Amino acid sequence: MNHHRLTAGRVLTLALAAALAAGCTFASNPRAEGAAGESAWTAPRTAWGDPDLQGVWRYEGAVPLERPKQFAGRESLTDEELAERDRLEKEMAANRLAGLEGTAVGRRSIAESPIRGNEYNSFWQDHGRPRRVFRQTSLVVDPRDGLLPYTPEARAAETRAQARYGVGPYESYLDPDTGERCLTDGVTALMWQGPNGGHNKIVQSPGYVTVLHEEYRDRRIIPTDGRPHGTVRQWFGDAVGRWEGDTLVVETTNFQDRTNYEWANIWTRASETLTLVERFTRVSDDTIDYRITVDDPATFAQPWTAQIPITRLPDGTRIYEYACHEGNYALPNLLSGARAQARTSSN
Amino acid sequence: MRTRLWTSVALVAAVAVVALLWRQAPPATDETGAFRAPRTSDGRPDLNGIWQALNTAHYDLEAHPARPALALIPAPPRGGGVHRATPVDLPAPGVRALGAAGGVPAGESVVVDGEIPYQPAALTQRQENAARWLERDPEIRCYMPGVPRITYMPYPFQILQGADEILIAYEFAGTTRTIHMTEVDDNPAPTWMGLSRGRWDGDTLVVDVSDFNGQTWFDRAGNFHSDALRVTERYTPVSPYHLMYQATIDDPKVFTRPWTIRMPLYRRFESGKKILEYKCTEFVEQLMYGELGLVDPSTGKPTR
Repeated sequence: MNHHRLTAGRVLTLALAAALAAGCTFASNPRAEGAAGESAWTAPRTAWGDPDLQGVWRYEGAVPLERPKQFAGRESLTDEELAERDRLEKEMAANRLAGLEGTAVGRRSIAESPIRGNEYNSFWQDHGRPRRVFRQTSLVVDPRDGLLPYTPEARAAETRAQARYGVGPYESYLDPDTGERCLTDGVTALMWQGPNGGHNKIVQSPGYVTVLHEEYRDRRIIPTDGRPHGTVRQWFGDAVGRWEGDTLVVETTNFQDRTNYEWANIWTRASETLTLVERFTRVSDDTIDYRITVDDPATFAQPWTAQIPITRLPDGTRIYEYACHEGNYALPNLLSGARAQARTSSN
Repeated sequence: MRTRLWTSVALVAAVAVVALLWRQAPPATDETGAFRAPRTSDGRPDLNGIWQALNTAHYDLEAHPARPALALIPAPPRGGGVHRATPVDLPAPGVRALGAAGGVPAGESVVVDGEIPYQPAALTQRQENAARWLERDPEIRCYMPGVPRITYMPYPFQILQGADEILIAYEFAGTTRTIHMTEVDDNPAPTWMGLSRGRWDGDTLVVDVSDFNGQTWFDRAGNFHSDALRVTERYTPVSPYHLMYQATIDDPKVFTRPWTIRMPLYRRFESGKKILEYKCTEFVEQLMYGELGLVDPSTGKPTR
């Protein structure tokens, strides 16, 4: 499988751009925040009594990670904005199904893309069903301004990463980002990223919650048996889970430092100082309220928290084998192309 | 009287020793043994845990003597007549520096009938695979190893039993299999790890695996299969610490008949044992892509 792709952050940015271009405002769905009021619903339990989070889940929301400028100072939308956003999402989904180019969420038009032939990147992306709208104006809820609190160095790195995406230089296999190298797009984005493989299968067994993320076949086996953190540093760190009422709380530390690699989005990169705290609360049959708090002084001036509503996909939804590295023709082709260009320009 | 006392003491001691040995004796390794697996809360045999093979099947499924390296080259002829000593095969240049750490330990066959029943042309292919191991073995490139190879690679794996599906989470290359315990459609395309459909046969988890892509191998000795491969695995608990693993290989394009491998799997019961990461994609990039632009650290420029 090829690996150039739009990342979640870009898709959200583009979705926003599309919405703005259409003269629309973002809206949100009362379902997410109204969940606490759905008193008739009780959280299901596994056979051994843990809250049951099992199923295949995916972020299908239309909320951008960071708050768009037009909503500065506002954490939620009005009813009118919500309804309009819902109408727009349904219209875009219908257009997508009808094959109308230029309206598809997450697709760059050929003219807009810095990569010639980028339409190739669009055809295999799964934008799923009509996106659900929610009242929040950004996934980031802390800091209150809805913006990622980058350090100046990290902001510069993010700007640099965006500028070189699809452009290069490509002097070695180290120059493409971690996703293009079929490594990962980072654990921070795992539960909700990805137009191409954003499905997450959660399977529970006594003492464990396991999350299989389709893209890169990223996997987390989270013990919930009260054991302490281990001592081995890993790409995905060392995760330890516990139940607080109906909420699964996962604390992850002991990450390997991979800030020396290129990342499609700097905010997903890990360093040794990263601590993640995630909270999974099933608030209805088809929604997990997922919150992630990222604390890493190597990238952020202060911790930040995102609140992300994750949708359960229909029973029987499967995740498929993601043989990214096995079929990574893009990486050698990219490098041999760059070598050929270098030879041509030096002649 | 005294003699009888000592006889009694000796008898008691003997009984104690026998009892001790009995307790320490390995459990029956046959499915007909009396061991009954513990049950999960929904009443299924409980295979949850971290398991690992402990044998040389990952080098070669068949019986093999020890040899100096995974990749060998014929020793150059030595002049001077028939009475001069000549070397056996030598480690290939790419692996020579590993010395004894790169040797291959001898091992018995795990194939039930001893040898793999290749069709003649396939046997030739196997021999070529072995001779060109460094170029051809998908393990070297960190590709997903397929089934059953993933089971007996020298890395642990964890069985995680969910309600309608069982996960087998392997350490090597972060590969996970989903064993579907309810009906599931065929894969839309062939895959490296196949499609696994499971069922219970008494205490035994039986898994039918199909939809393979034909690019995986069975070991480091060049044993291989085609995309017609079907594997039937049996995981039978034979003690609290052991599963008996059996895999029947059926591939009419490569073999003259189905054949079976069999080996125990051992529980890794160290306290707090986890499946750790072995993200080998990162480890093979230099091997696979280095020639397309290796950066010289002193200049930051590609070396070619």
